[in-house]
Amino acid sequence: MHDTEQTHPLQVPRRMQQQVQLGAAQAEQFAAAFERLAAAVDTVVLGKQEVVRLALTAMFAEGHILLEDVPGTGKTTMARAIAAAVSGQWRRIQFTPDLLPSDVSGVTIFNQASGAFEFHPGPVFANIVIADEINRASPKTQSALLEVMEEGRVTVDGRPHQVPLPFLVVATQNPVEMDGTYRLPEAQLDRFLVKLSVGYPVEAAEIEVLRGTHQRSPEHLPPVLDTEAVAQMAELAKHVYIAEPLYAYLVQLANATRSHPQVAVGVSPRGLIALTRAASVFALSQGRGYIIPEDVKALAGPVFAHRIQLAPDAAMRGATGLQVVADAFDQVPVPLPSPAA
Amino acid sequence: MSAVATPVRRRRTRYRLRVAAVAACLTLMCALAGTVAARVYHGQLLVLLVAGAAFAAFAIGFALRNRPAFLAPSASLVGLAAYLLGAIALTTDGREPLPATIVDALVNAVPRTLTALIPVEPAPDTVVVPVFLAWLAATLACEFAIRYGRTLLGCLPPVLLYGAGLYLVGPNADGGTATAVAFCVLAAAALAVTAAPPERRPDSDAVVDGPAPSKAPALMGAVVTTCVLLAAVALLGPAAARLVTASPGDPREYVEPPQLTDIDLNPLVRIAAWSKYPDQELFTADTTADSLMRLAVLTEYDGTTWQVAGDFRTAGTVIPGSGEADFSADIEIIGLGGKLVPAAADPATLTGLPIAVNLDSRCLLTPDGLATGSTYHVESALTTVDPAAAETARPDLADPATVAVPLGTPEIMATIADYVNTTYDTPYARAQGLADFLAQHYAYNPEAPSGHDLPALGFFLGSPADAGGQRGTSEHFAAAYAIIARLVGLPSRVVVGFEVPGGSSTVTAAQASAWPEIAFDGVGWVRFDPMPAPDAVPTPPEDTLEQLEEETPTPEEDTGGGGEAEDFNDESLEQEGDFNDELTRDAGGLPVWAWYALGALLLACAPLVLKARRALRRRRRLGRGSPADRVAGAWAEVLAAAARAGVKVPGHANAEEAASRLSPLNGEIGTLPRLVNAAAFAPQAVSEEDARAAAAIAAAYPRSIRHQVKRWKRLLT
Repeated sequence: MHDTEQTHPLQVPRRMQQQVQLGAAQAEQFAAAFERLAAAVDTVVLGKQEVVRLALTAMFAEGHILLEDVPGTGKTTMARAIAAAVSGQWRRIQFTPDLLPSDVSGVTIFNQASGAFEFHPGPVFANIVIADEINRASPKTQSALLEVMEEGRVTVDGRPHQVPLPFLVVATQNPVEMDGTYRLPEAQLDRFLVKLSVGYPVEAAEIEVLRGTHQRSPEHLPPVLDTEAVAQMAELAKHVYIAEPLYAYLVQLANATRSHPQVAVGVSPRGLIALTRAASVFALSQGRGYIIPEDVKALAGPVFAHRIQLAPDAAMRGATGLQVVADAFDQVPVPLPSPAA
Repeated sequence: MSAVATPVRRRRTRYRLRVAAVAACLTLMCALAGTVAARVYHGQLLVLLVAGAAFAAFAIGFALRNRPAFLAPSASLVGLAAYLLGAIALTTDGREPLPATIVDALVNAVPRTLTALIPVEPAPDTVVVPVFLAWLAATLACEFAIRYGRTLLGCLPPVLLYGAGLYLVGPNADGGTATAVAFCVLAAAALAVTAAPPERRPDSDAVVDGPAPSKAPALMGAVVTTCVLLAAVALLGPAAARLVTASPGDPREYVEPPQLTDIDLNPLVRIAAWSKYPDQELFTADTTADSLMRLAVLTEYDGTTWQVAGDFRTAGTVIPGSGEADFSADIEIIGLGGKLVPAAADPATLTGLPIAVNLDSRCLLTPDGLATGSTYHVESALTTVDPAAAETARPDLADPATVAVPLGTPEIMATIADYVNTTYDTPYARAQGLADFLAQHYAYNPEAPSGHDLPALGFFLGSPADAGGQRGTSEHFAAAYAIIARLVGLPSRVVVGFEVPGGSSTVTAAQASAWPEIAFDGVGWVRFDPMPAPDAVPTPPEDTLEQLEEETPTPEEDTGGGGEAEDFNDESLEQEGDFNDELTRDAGGLPVWAWYALGALLLACAPLVLKARRALRRRRRLGRGSPADRVAGAWAEVLAAAARAGVKVPGHANAEEAASRLSPLNGEIGTLPRLVNAAAFAPQAVSEEDARAAAAIAAAYPRSIRHQVKRWKRLLT
């Protein structure tokens, strides 16, 4: 007798499709930890709750964050605050035009005492790496981050070196000052799970910032979670339930960006995977063990917009990736249940 | 001496009389045979020319009947040449030198005569053949009958001429019974007064002597022949008549029509360029009144392009089938290219250009194409439409091409068609309503890119304004209107033309536009204007369409009312006659008041039926199925109640957004969005208690927003 559940060689076996469903208690625990971490960062970065939560969402989704805004809006402060709130090892790299790839990834040096070559890890070997003003480094140096951001390891002189986990890159860049900068290539942009803009704080928050300028420093922020807890929470997010109609919904959204008349290159499958991971974390942060369309919509802008390459004429007319994403949501119907007639 | 001379003189006199009678009959036969062809010619000029040729040719032959045999043909040939020269000089327009005109006429006479559009304009190349044949027939008839005394053989040329005339006429004129009867009478008369054989001609040098021949044998022979002929006609006539079932062939059918270039097949694509460069000067016009000068009428649409339908046929200066001209225009071309010739409908005459006319749309074309400096004069019988007649008329569905809709029309077109069908009742109201809808919801933008294929029109109609949609040129408005009109069930076409003011002016590209027309039975093609007013600010079409969907029952709620395009091809509708004629009809023997009463009863019961259906559906939605199904049912009930109150939730809104949209109604939906999300996207996360809570919300919600629902909706839904 043959097994009646024979499957196509390329088809994922049924038992592997079954997900470990999260209980409500696990989701509540995740949400509580997430909220504690966000509240800690909020004490340093005032009035930016939404941006802080999106950044933390990216962290738990094991993605990397690109913060883009004008100088002085708190990009670096937020990156440092996130690093400080997690009691792991963190490093900061100030990207400059003369920075070399070995300054980032590390270098192998001959030790005369031991008579052997020794690898001296660069600043990228940390749980949280703050890449400040990343667009000031040359493309060669920027590319030094490609491997480590995607695969979590650095290859120097042909030998791979694993970076500690969890591993998070928080990069900042200034979109206004373009002299002496190098625009991030599309491949590099695609490796950032979200691209966020901090923006100016509201008036009340800005007044509060002025009052506590000296007290609210990331150095004074006590750690809320350790790296092990972060890794466990990231693992938990992989078991969030995704209903079948949502898969089709997500793909239709991506297709809508690809077929948009103003778009040259739409969202890649990697972008779609990134959105799914981010939505999973976002759902857990809301105390839910399953994704709903609201999660998708909340994260589609930060996850999709920087991955969309506009057609030249559309870019000249001032169209943006966010507009394309909004158009995609207006075109694709939400798979809400339709009642029987 | 005198006793002998008197009978001889008398016989000679009778003979001369018979000869004169035969000559007269044959001359008239030739003239009549020539006028058979003249029935498809414009005016009486050809009749005069053919009759003159017949008389002149016969006169020459008759005058030389006693001269040597070679003399008459020679003189006739000279006479024919002179007569043809005169005919050509008489009919030429003088634009070409006479020798060139003569050569052109002689070389091209036969094909042009056979293929010229009816009514044929008498021109050098179209009169040569009839005149030549009439002259030839008359000469031969005279020779056979007068010189050689063979009257029956002399009748043969006019008969052949008659047949040639019938072939040239084809099915384009009536049978000409009177002419045929007169022709036969003349032939019979000629035969009856058969001339004597040559050797017995009294006016020849031969001496006639002896007694007159007896008439008895000839009389007997004539009687017997007549009887045989009558019997043959009686026996074979009906059978021969049954064999004549097909209409005569038309030689013009074998003519290949002038070929159109791409821009002439689909001049709609020129609108975008004209809109972008409105100052481009196209032609000057000196007209007697304001007019719409049509360039082309586009009837066929294949999903990609609108194209001119039907063939163009070469025409003379007179356009066949036109009414009395009451408008004229003198045109001089400046920058207008292509072959299509602008003219106000309905063109009657055109001089200055060789012309072909489209028999379907009556648009004009010049085979050599327009060139800068070309001038022409066109007269038209301006078409007028009675609006009152159109308002009550049915659409004219005679031509299937005018209602053909290609596959793959964008959904937005069907939505607008549903809106028009639901909002308006009569065909005219729907046509006008569709024009108003486009004018109010879409904007004019001369920079809009060209394109009227279905995807382009779908983008024009359905894409957001900030993404480049909802604005276009008259190309987009007219093309979209025509397709949606066909979805509504109205026969439509697109016309490209120019708005030309009265008097002398230079027509620029800014005056070019495309507009749609709808065909109404008994009224004709009626123009509609879907273009927005210059200062109008368009309202988003989604607002109106969403409002329609709120007011229109969903498909499961549809009780057979509006929403579907009316099928005007339905035979039952055809049998109903005019829209305003229905109430006066006495159907099925029942008195009219009974039908009124029955209708009133049905109308009175309709709200009850609708309410009963809604109650049953609510019970089914909220009480049957799994908890998740019941939550979904509760959600649908809430959305339907909100739609009745005027708030429509689009399909792309998620549950939280839907709740946000419903908030202006101040109805309490509590945790229903969360429950819907859980029912849809969480594994078995909805309990019986949740389902009951959702049902309670759905039951209370319509009551809480009841005061915001219009009274008629409360009554009917």
